[in-house]
Amino acid sequence: MISGRYFDGHSATAGEARIEFGADGVVRVHGLAEPVAVPLGQVNISDRVGNITRRVTFPGGAVFETFQNDAMDRALEVHNVKRATALVHWLEARWPVALGSLVAVALVSFAFLRWGVPALADWTAKVLPTATDRAIGSGSLDVLDRVAFRKSELSDARQKELRARFALMTRDLKDGHAYELELRHGAAIGANAFALPSGIVVMTDELVEMSKTDDELVAVLAHEIGHVRGRHALRQLLQAAGVSAIALALLGDVSSISGLLSAAPALLHAKHSRDFEREADAFGKKWLREHNIAESNFDAILCRMSEEHPGSGDVDYFSSHPATSERAHCTPAQQRAN
Amino acid sequence: MNEATSLDGGASIAAPVAATPARKLFPFEFRGNGGEYFRIWIVNLLLTIITLGIYSAWAKVRRLRYFYGNTLLDGHSFEYHGRPLAILKGRLIVVGLYFGFLLLAQVMPLVVLVFLPLIIFGLPWIVMRSRLFQLRMSSYRNLRFNFAGSYGGAMGAFVGWYLLTVITFGILYPAWVRKRVQYTLDNSLYGTQPFEFKTGNGEYFKFCYITAGLSLLAYIVGAFALFGLTAIKDVFTSGIPPTGLQMLSALGVGGFLLILVAAIAGFSIAAYYQASFINASFGGVEIGSNSVLSDLKVAPLMWIYVTNLLGIVFTLGLFYPWAKVRQTRYQLENMQVDSDGNLGAFTAGATGATSAVGEEAGDFFDVDFGL
Repeated sequence: MISGRYFDGHSATAGEARIEFGADGVVRVHGLAEPVAVPLGQVNISDRVGNITRRVTFPGGAVFETFQNDAMDRALEVHNVKRATALVHWLEARWPVALGSLVAVALVSFAFLRWGVPALADWTAKVLPTATDRAIGSGSLDVLDRVAFRKSELSDARQKELRARFALMTRDLKDGHAYELELRHGAAIGANAFALPSGIVVMTDELVEMSKTDDELVAVLAHEIGHVRGRHALRQLLQAAGVSAIALALLGDVSSISGLLSAAPALLHAKHSRDFEREADAFGKKWLREHNIAESNFDAILCRMSEEHPGSGDVDYFSSHPATSERAHCTPAQQRAN
Repeated sequence: MNEATSLDGGASIAAPVAATPARKLFPFEFRGNGGEYFRIWIVNLLLTIITLGIYSAWAKVRRLRYFYGNTLLDGHSFEYHGRPLAILKGRLIVVGLYFGFLLLAQVMPLVVLVFLPLIIFGLPWIVMRSRLFQLRMSSYRNLRFNFAGSYGGAMGAFVGWYLLTVITFGILYPAWVRKRVQYTLDNSLYGTQPFEFKTGNGEYFKFCYITAGLSLLAYIVGAFALFGLTAIKDVFTSGIPPTGLQMLSALGVGGFLLILVAAIAGFSIAAYYQASFINASFGGVEIGSNSVLSDLKVAPLMWIYVTNLLGIVFTLGLFYPWAKVRQTRYQLENMQVDSDGNLGAFTAGATGATSAVGEEAGDFFDVDFGL
C-alpha cells in the first residue's frame, strides 16, 4: 500500500489515506470513514513529471495524491498499466539522455540557423511584393537627411550627368523597384554609397570626388543595385525575425533575458550582412563584365575607400562587411593602410 | 508503510485548534531544481523539434505541471490540468488563422483594414478566454480555480483604458496597468470563493512614475555618453541599417564599458519595476479571510537577473532551466499567505471543459496580460 492524502472532490480538506492496487484489478483507498473501491480501468492516474505529486482521480472527482512516485510506478508496472508518456519520464530522468538530446538540439539549431533561416527568408521574400521593400525603406532618407547629410555641393550639370548614367544602368532591370540616384554631401560619413530597399541609391559628394573615372562610380552603383535587386534589407529583416522566433521559442519566459533575445538577431545580423555584401559584390562584378567595364574599377575605388577608413578592413564578428582583402586586390601601399 | 509522513512536507495539514483563531503565515515553497528541469526541458525540446512542433503542446503541459506541482503551500502542491490535445487544437487554429490572414493580405491588401477592428474587438476576447482556461486548469488541494471576468470587462480594461491612456498622453498609464491586473485578479475564484483585489491606484502610480523617471534619467545620461564617444563615421557603410551592437563595437573599450553600465542601470530599473509590480499585484489579493503577502526586494531580484543573463550568455542558453527555476523560486519564496489558520476550508464550484483557443492565441500573439 502507498500512503498519501485523499480529497473527497467537494472540499479542500484532505485526509490521510493509503491506496492499494489489488491483484483483482480493484483500486482501494484505506483509512477513510467509508472505504473506496473502484476498478483500475475507471481511475485516471496522472503522468509522472519530475517528482511532483501523483494523482489518482476517481469517478466523481475524488482524488488520492501521493509524493511516492517510485512506489506508484512499481504498482503500475505490476498491473501492466502502460503509457507512452511513461517513456517521456524515463527519458527525462536520465542525464545521458539529456546530454544526447542536447547534442542533437545543438546540431539541429545550428543547421537551421545556418541554412534554414536564410532559405526561409529568401522564400518569404519571393512571395512578398516589392511594395514591401518600399514600406521598409520609407522615411529612412528623411531621417538621414536630418541627422547626417547635407545638400550635395556638386554642380547641377554633374548631378544630372550622374543621374542619367544611373538611369541608363537601371533602365532594363524591370524588377519592380523604383531606382533613383540621390546625391548628398556626406559630412561625417565621408566617401560612401548605400542603397535603400525602395531602390533609392545614395552616393556622397566625397565618393564622387574620390573616383578617378566614372566607371569606378558605376562599379559602386552596380554593387548597390545588387543590394536592392537581391532585396537584402527585406531578407535581413526576415532573417532577424526568424532568429528572434527561435530564440523566443527556446528561451521565452525568463524576464532577465528578454533584453538578450532582442540582441540575438544582432549577433547573427553581422554574419548575414557579410553574406549579402558578397552577394552584392558578385552581382556588381557580373554586371560590369556584361557591360564590358573592367572589374578592376571596383577594386580600385573600394581599396581607396578602405584607405580613408583605416581599420575598417579588419574583419571581426561584428563587421557588417567582409575584409577588403577578401573583396578586392589592393596595391601594397593600400594594404598597409588597413 | 511507515513513510506516511513523507507527504506532509514538514507542514501540518491539520488547522490549529479551532478555539484560537490566531492568524498564521503560510510561506510558498518551491521544490523544483535546475538539473531536473534541464533534463525535462532538453528532452521536450528535442521531441518538439523531431515532431516539427506538434509535441510542443505536450511539452507545455509537462513544463506547467512541473512548475505548478513543485509550488507548495502548507504542504500541498498546485496542479495544472490542461490537456495537450486541447492546447494543440488551440494552437492549430491560431496558426491557421494567422497564416490565413497573411495569405489573404497578399491577395487583397485592403483586408488589413477590416482586420484592425477585428483585432481590437478580438483581443479582449482572447484575454478573457486565456484567463478562463488558465484558471480552470489550475487547482490546489483538489479544488479548481475559476474565472468570472466578462468580455465587457476585458474590453474596458484592455481597450477602453488603453484609449484613455493615449488621450491623456500616458499620464493614466499606471491606472491602466492596475485595471488589467484588477480584471484578472478581481474576477478569479478559488472553488466558489471569489478573490478580492485590494491594491489602490496610488501604489501603481508611485512605482510606474518612479520607473519612468529612472528610465528617462538613464536614457539621457546614456545618450550623452554615446554621443560623447561616437563619431557616426563607419556606421552608415551599407544600405542595411547598422545595429546598436555594431555602433557600440565600433567604439571599442568605451563602448564595452557603456554597455556594462547601461545593462546594470537597465537591470536595476527592470528589477525595481518587477518587484513593485508583483508586490502590488499579488500582495493585494484576499481570498476569504486569507490574504497574500508579497515582499520581493529589488537588490536580490536584480542579482538574479544579472547572474541569469550572464549564465545564459556564457552557456549559449544552456543555463536557461536553472535561470527559470531560480527566478521562480525567488518570487515564490518571498510570498506567503496570511491565513486564519485553515486553508482547507473551501468548497468546490462547477468546472467545465474550456477550449484552449483563447489561451493559445494569447501565447502566440504575445498579448501582454500584465501578470
